[in-house]
Amino acid sequence: MNCRDWEERIALYVGGDLAASEAAEVERHVADCAGCQVFASGLKQSLELLREAHQEPLAAAHFAAVRARVLAELAGERRAWWRRAWVYGLAAAAAVALLVAFAVRPGHAPQPRRPEIMGQAGRPTPPEPKVQVAEAAAQPKPVHRRPQGRTGSRQAAPPVLGARVEPVMVKLETDDPDVVIYWIAEIRGDAK
Amino acid sequence: MKALAFLATVGPMDGDRSSAIAAAQAGDLAAFELLMRQHERMVLVTALRLLGNLEDAQDASQEVFLRLYRNLRKVESASNVAGWLYRVTVNICHDLRRRRPRPVALDEIAEPAAAGPDPQRSATEAERRSVLELSLRMLSEKERAALVLRDLEGLSTEEVARALGSSEATVRSQVSKARVKVREFVERYFRRHV
Ligand SMILES: [Zn+2]
Repeated sequence: MNCRDWEERIALYVGGDLAASEAAEVERHVADCAGCQVFASGLKQSLELLREAHQEPLAAAHFAAVRARVLAELAGERRAWWRRAWVYGLAAAAAVALLVAFAVRPGHAPQPRRPEIMGQAGRPTPPEPKVQVAEAAAQPKPVHRRPQGRTGSRQAAPPVLGARVEPVMVKLETDDPDVVIYWIAEIRGDAK
Repeated sequence: MKALAFLATVGPMDGDRSSAIAAAQAGDLAAFELLMRQHERMVLVTALRLLGNLEDAQDASQEVFLRLYRNLRKVESASNVAGWLYRVTVNICHDLRRRRPRPVALDEIAEPAAAGPDPQRSATEAERRSVLELSLRMLSEKERAALVLRDLEGLSTEEVARALGSSEATVRSQVSKARVKVREFVERYFRRHV
């Protein structure tokens, strides 16, 4: 057998990658072959040098830097998630408020403006859902809404004179540019 | 504080890791930080050995851990975290190499540095390190990965095969070729320069 044919096996042998029987064969050949002895010792030596060169430990700061970058990115993603969750929650709350308004005062439900259909094409994808509250700067707090006026007995607080009823439009832009959700709710001027 | 409380509640290493995974899955960033600390050496050092420079290796590590966070469900058991991380590290380093190719420059061998208690000695050490780093660059990407995982990370041939998505026979062939090439490069260099 040509020494060239032993190369691969010797290279595996020096790394401890041969089964016992194969290793024994290699050892027998190397013991009788000066050229393969040199080849084997050169392999062992370069492997040792390589391992030595990679022994040096990395400074702790290098690991800390990676950790900090990962955690900062995850924390940022989480903030964005909560912002989104808040927007969807707000929209849902507005919807509930609207339903309550209809249920409690079926005859006096404010005529909501019809949801506008947005143009379909060419709209840039918004980076995150946004809420645009039309007209009133007041935050809708549907949980605290009270039925207003002439429904009489079940009302928890007397109506405030001069309180204004303002339709508030919540526009929700989703990640899909073709889907825009509008919630029309009513906010009383005294809501604070 | 949260991390400390968490550390106090977990027991030995393996349970530690499983609980860290479970807690991180539930959104506990402190638990995820603990998980990172347990594996950061492995990931960054492997990336450095695969890529050859710290800046790229840190970018790769960051990507590996972000991917880990998004795939915690896939690595539920502590036993396969390391295997999963090795595989993803190799893949991410591969992608990064494609995006930022760094040509091999033979004049990169370190200049003798006059630092350290014995300038002569530290100079030769630095030089030797550069020679060995260069020898890794002479390898194909697959050969380098196989050599790094088998000879420097100490994985078994089977584990290397799993990390590289290839067969054990292929890994053995790549490892042996890589060892022969490193020997040739190192010997040629030192015969000429020493
Ligand atoms: Zn021979």
